[in-house]
Amino acid sequence: MAQSGVSVTPECINAFNELKLGKDIKYIIYKISDDWKEIVVEETSKDGDWNSFRDKLLNAKSKDRKGKEGIGGRYAVFDVSYELESGEGTRSKITFIAWCPDDAPQYPRMMYSSSKEAIKRALNGLAADIQANDADDIEWESILNRVSKGR
Amino acid sequence: MNIPNPSTAPVPGEYAGDEVSAIVLDPGYWTTRAGFAGEDVPKSVCPSFYGQLDNDSGAQYLFGENAIHTPTGNLEIKNPWGADGIVEDWDTATKIWEYAITSRLTGAKAGDPAKNGLNDGTNANGDSMDVDIDALDNQEKPLEDSPLLVTEPGWNSAKAREKYIEIAMEEWGAPAFYLQKTGVLAAFASGKASGIIIDVGASHTSVTPVLDGMVLRKGVQKSPLAGNFVSNQTRLVFKQSQPEIPLTPHFMVKSKTPVDAGVPAQAMYKTFGVPPTDSFRRLEEERVLTEFKESVVEVWSGPGRLSNGNNEDISKAMPGRPFEMPDGWNQVFQGERFRPAEGLFDANAALQDADNPRPKDEHTIPRLVQQAVQHVDTDQRPLLLSNIVITGASTLLYKFNDRLSHEINQLYPSTKNRLVAPGTVVERKYAAWIGGSILASLGSFHQLWISRKEYEEHGPGIVEKRCR
Repeated sequence: MAQSGVSVTPECINAFNELKLGKDIKYIIYKISDDWKEIVVEETSKDGDWNSFRDKLLNAKSKDRKGKEGIGGRYAVFDVSYELESGEGTRSKITFIAWCPDDAPQYPRMMYSSSKEAIKRALNGLAADIQANDADDIEWESILNRVSKGR
Repeated sequence: MNIPNPSTAPVPGEYAGDEVSAIVLDPGYWTTRAGFAGEDVPKSVCPSFYGQLDNDSGAQYLFGENAIHTPTGNLEIKNPWGADGIVEDWDTATKIWEYAITSRLTGAKAGDPAKNGLNDGTNANGDSMDVDIDALDNQEKPLEDSPLLVTEPGWNSAKAREKYIEIAMEEWGAPAFYLQKTGVLAAFASGKASGIIIDVGASHTSVTPVLDGMVLRKGVQKSPLAGNFVSNQTRLVFKQSQPEIPLTPHFMVKSKTPVDAGVPAQAMYKTFGVPPTDSFRRLEEERVLTEFKESVVEVWSGPGRLSNGNNEDISKAMPGRPFEMPDGWNQVFQGERFRPAEGLFDANAALQDADNPRPKDEHTIPRLVQQAVQHVDTDQRPLLLSNIVITGASTLLYKFNDRLSHEINQLYPSTKNRLVAPGTVVERKYAAWIGGSILASLGSFHQLWISRKEYEEHGPGIVEKRCR
């Protein structure tokens, strides 16, 4: 149970299982619903392009409790695949990203950090967990660096 | 704009319809913060100090800013917190917290007309509270309509935690209760589920490692090197300077005339029939010192310690800052203004005398961080070090963050260390309260409250199970 009591909708888990088993979906972006009660799937995509994914996170918006829109957080699962340096083929790691930018307003910051446990526990089989708080943290290089550790 | 009455709860619906008019209480050594959940800042910030007047009829207690800063003969100023950072005097602490809540938020419930303060002439200011036990029992409980979320330090004992829920349920009649650690709330408030929280308050500095919203209890470090320590160091700077710098609090001064820098003050002083007590004077001096810390004291920003190489000479050459005492005495402080805070980082640099022994090396902030990190799994260390959250009012000391960042980079040169300090003063001072305010206002948080029914069924031990 997350400390905020926010719940996870079954679609979140279904989408994740599809990504895990089918390997067709490349990433899923989750958000906390506008009424701040549950975590829902915002988008799933078959396009494995990191930069367009990153832009989506950077442009994420959340409504605060008064209905005003501002910078927001997101959760995401990305199937990170990379070539081994030794040329022994490719690897892929299902990576969980908690995106909570430092310049977001207090309310979404609090909500996304305190609800992270809920979604993380609901998704079984994550290879890596990344807490990202600014644009640098979701550069492809820094993600790859974190994910590829230990092969 | 429609400015709501400060003593009413926010309108339901304004905050996504979740409003349960919960109250969030964040007690500290210097101030006690209380306010309605869902609001941005605590409405009620009261001193945690209280006044005690002993007369023939027993002890009378005074609470609140207005009451405790008025010089009254034999008024003793006390504080319910113990030296270990856990509440010591529970009875008075309860009253202070109750004052913080009822004076600004809920309003006192109607009591016995003979004892509600309107009909007794002996009580000069409205801030005092009668401590007649029978009257208290007969009164309605102050918190009957409001669930209560209280914050606690990371090192709180199991016994103290049970005490919190007992007070909330038994004495205040709260319908629901929750206890959360300040470290977790401060981390959440700055958007981190994991990180190291460095909280420099008045009486204690604490370093709390938090992983996925859980405090790693064995990693929690605390030390008495915090705001009060800096105040005491400032006193020593004043005492050891030649000639000694006089520290005269505001209440002593009747009138003053401007004097040149460094010249003895030309002021008329007040005389008192019964001289104010030492503890009162000390509290008033503390207020002057707070001003001094805010406007003059600077932390040597590094790299290196103040005592390294010619850093001290550099610090002396930096522009000075003027300070005027309440009695008109004034001076520009130069090198000295780097001294008071240096002891937070370097025990050797702390000024000493008979009452202020040398602080222990392991109590300095860099060492606390080091010990906290050592208790964490090696794999998790880089994650925590890239999320160091700075909170607590004493971290507002000028250049504090620069220095801390240098110290941490020196300790851990191979990891990416990042300090996160909330930009605004309000967020820095009230991070834990703000975190609590958001949580307690959530509709989804309803399921987490410990209800009165559950308390009655399981007893106070339920906090250990539910609020981890």
